Amino acid sequence: MPKYLPLLLFIFLLTQGLKGNCAKSRPIGGITFTNILPDPDPPPYGDFQTLIVPIKKAGNLIIVEAQVDSVEGNFVMDTGAPYLVLNATYFRDAPKIDDQESAGINGESGGSFTTVVHNFSILDLHYSSLTADVTDLSAIENGRNMKILGLLGTRLFANFAVTIDLFNNLMYIHKLNEQGNIPPGEQVFHDPFLRTPFNYMNDIIFMKGAIADKTLWFVFDTGAETNLLDYSRSGKAIRKMQIINRSKLTGVGGSSFEILYARFDELTVGNQKFTRNRALVTDLEKMGRAYDHNIDGILGYDFFSRGIFTINFVKKEFEMYIYNNQ
Amino acid sequence: MRRYGFYIFLLLLLFGNLPYALAQERNNLIATKRKLVLLIDVTSSKAGLDSIFKRAGISDADRPALLKGDLSVLEREGWRMVKHIDNIIEFDRRLSEIKENPPGNPFIITAQVIKNGARHGYLDDALYGVNKFSSPSVIELPSGLTRFILPGFLNSKRAFLSGSFNDWSTLKGLMTKTATGWMIDIKLVPGAYEYKFIADGRWMTDPANLIDLNDGAGNTNSAYFKYNYTFKLHGYPSAQKISVAGSFNNWNPGELQLVKNGNTWECPLYLHEGRHAYRFVIDDNWIADPANPDKLTDDKGNVNSVINIGQTVNFKLDGYTNARSVFLAGDFNDWQTNAIRLNKTADGWSTALVLASGNYNYTFIVDGKSIPDPANPYQSVVQNQTFSFVSVNANYKFKLKGYTDAKKVRLAGTFNNWNYFGYTLAPNGNEWSISLYLKPGKTLYKYIVDGNWIIDPGNKQWEQNDEQTGNSVLWIGQ
Repeated sequence: MPKYLPLLLFIFLLTQGLKGNCAKSRPIGGITFTNILPDPDPPPYGDFQTLIVPIKKAGNLIIVEAQVDSVEGNFVMDTGAPYLVLNATYFRDAPKIDDQESAGINGESGGSFTTVVHNFSILDLHYSSLTADVTDLSAIENGRNMKILGLLGTRLFANFAVTIDLFNNLMYIHKLNEQGNIPPGEQVFHDPFLRTPFNYMNDIIFMKGAIADKTLWFVFDTGAETNLLDYSRSGKAIRKMQIINRSKLTGVGGSSFEILYARFDELTVGNQKFTRNRALVTDLEKMGRAYDHNIDGILGYDFFSRGIFTINFVKKEFEMYIYNNQ
Repeated sequence: MRRYGFYIFLLLLLFGNLPYALAQERNNLIATKRKLVLLIDVTSSKAGLDSIFKRAGISDADRPALLKGDLSVLEREGWRMVKHIDNIIEFDRRLSEIKENPPGNPFIITAQVIKNGARHGYLDDALYGVNKFSSPSVIELPSGLTRFILPGFLNSKRAFLSGSFNDWSTLKGLMTKTATGWMIDIKLVPGAYEYKFIADGRWMTDPANLIDLNDGAGNTNSAYFKYNYTFKLHGYPSAQKISVAGSFNNWNPGELQLVKNGNTWECPLYLHEGRHAYRFVIDDNWIADPANPDKLTDDKGNVNSVINIGQTVNFKLDGYTNARSVFLAGDFNDWQTNAIRLNKTADGWSTALVLASGNYNYTFIVDGKSIPDPANPYQSVVQNQTFSFVSVNANYKFKLKGYTDAKKVRLAGTFNNWNYFGYTLAPNGNEWSISLYLKPGKTLYKYIVDGNWIIDPGNKQWEQNDEQTGNSVLWIGQ
């Protein structure tokens, strides 16, 4: 009997790792969603090898125009979102596929639900059917004074590599070859100064980095207008930073919370050192709970605006190129 | 040996206190393992102290008291005095206070940290403009539409026109392919616009446009002005150079040249709505406009000509034929009660004003007594006073169908700071309505029916508010 026990125990432990990804949670527009659906959407299609999409900026948000059914409008390119999210102001009447349990920020933002849209397209890139969450995105509209129809999350680009050139306001959507690479003839940028793999968990990009020798895991979020650091998980690193100021901000429902604005050198991502960095120090526990993963920090605009960058969702690779005015 | 030891000791002392000895900056804010430390050097200048208190997060309202020496402000903010050595006072607070009310997403933070400035890519405030093209790529058609032309790029799959007139849409300005390039006709009201073409998916300025604008956000855009006025001067056949200079262009002579057209000199241009003073400069001689009766003497004694760009609004008061004087006062003239006199007519009084686009409150002053316009059903209430309301260049009609039993229907929103007494709608058959001029961008609003706030039942677009009762949403121009 005792002989079998360790084997049984071992097998039992193995099965725990194979648990299905059913009830995951996600923060979108400040609402924590459970009941995330697995990906049933058919793959997108389009007659192009490299699609060049003109983009705009609103504050430090990257804006891409797209068309959903017959409606055209602005979407935030947001790698912090798992898939398509639609603004309830304009899609309140979309057919409900599923209700979302919302443990919203003030605990009572109801009215968020899942829907399916047909005929979503970004220029020549078409999606015949897309699962989407409908939620309140009015805060982004009011904060940036721009009509926002929704957010473009990572799953939309799961089969592609995406390059963002903020210097020329362009986004490239690259079809990949069988090896998962941009075909050599189609490469727009060459000789990246940074190339690093990333973990892609729950449709969120996690990149390994360090601040002053302390290893940290960062979420890479194009929807984050600044870098963010968790005060307790990055504590040792924060002690070496220059604290520029302390501010009290207002949360949803009028509650207030505290942040620090810090400057520091010695941010390492992949094997590349970045100097003159800025970050807001806050508590990322709530965002981490919604991502189902502890977050040490979020790499945002201050990081990715330093170069032209490519996210290869198939190879799970991140690259950055120097902008040299070509 | 002992001497070296002394110097080494000094060095250690220096490095040991490095955070506190950051050269000239004795004031500082430092994070330690569990605390946020605030160091104040009491010998700092007032500006230096104000700066460190601001860094510590003390509000503008509280800092003056602190600068006078009232340290209790710091304590009320949660700072605790730790020690006072010589001229350095150390305060601290728990870093763990950051844990309270953690934000649920990055935007909640960044919306408050990164503020919107003026809109980039819009020439809202341009007072005037004259176009400059190397070849005509923007043409005003007889139909009233404006044609934009991009030659070439025939291998491009698509081309778009994007500009401030279509809120920089990268999809809505789809151009039509021609034999030699691309074109699009759009409807423009007179104004100042920034634009670019998109060809092969890439942004480009208009190659034929000689005006390049830096939009303040790192982008270079082309500019186009749709004209709405022409300065004209008759005669002066032997003048060498005639230009117009005014309040709109900083009285810069020589910049805006008039061109001879028969026996008239002309300068067509775009002029912003509102009031402008100007004079002509004829071979270095400044004169007022002989054809313009409207003049104003400035404080230097110069007699300037004056024009108003806007729409003519007729103000009429029927009756009161026995009154001695009737004046008009409103937002448009800072409520001066004896400035705009109405002229007596057969059956009443009237005058006409040229007003820029906007919403105006006004009243008649009949023999010194203020009365609202009896013929105008639209009213606005400001600080418990009822005024008549007129909208110039109204671009949106608010309608509420039904509610025929209601006594009073009002409108409030972001355009009037949610003033509860707001604007009064007028009944018209089966609906209540009022037209307003709304600035481009987002408007939030609600109706107030006999004191009850409701979202617009005729508008599917609404967003949640703090009271959980919803606000109706309207976009002008997007």
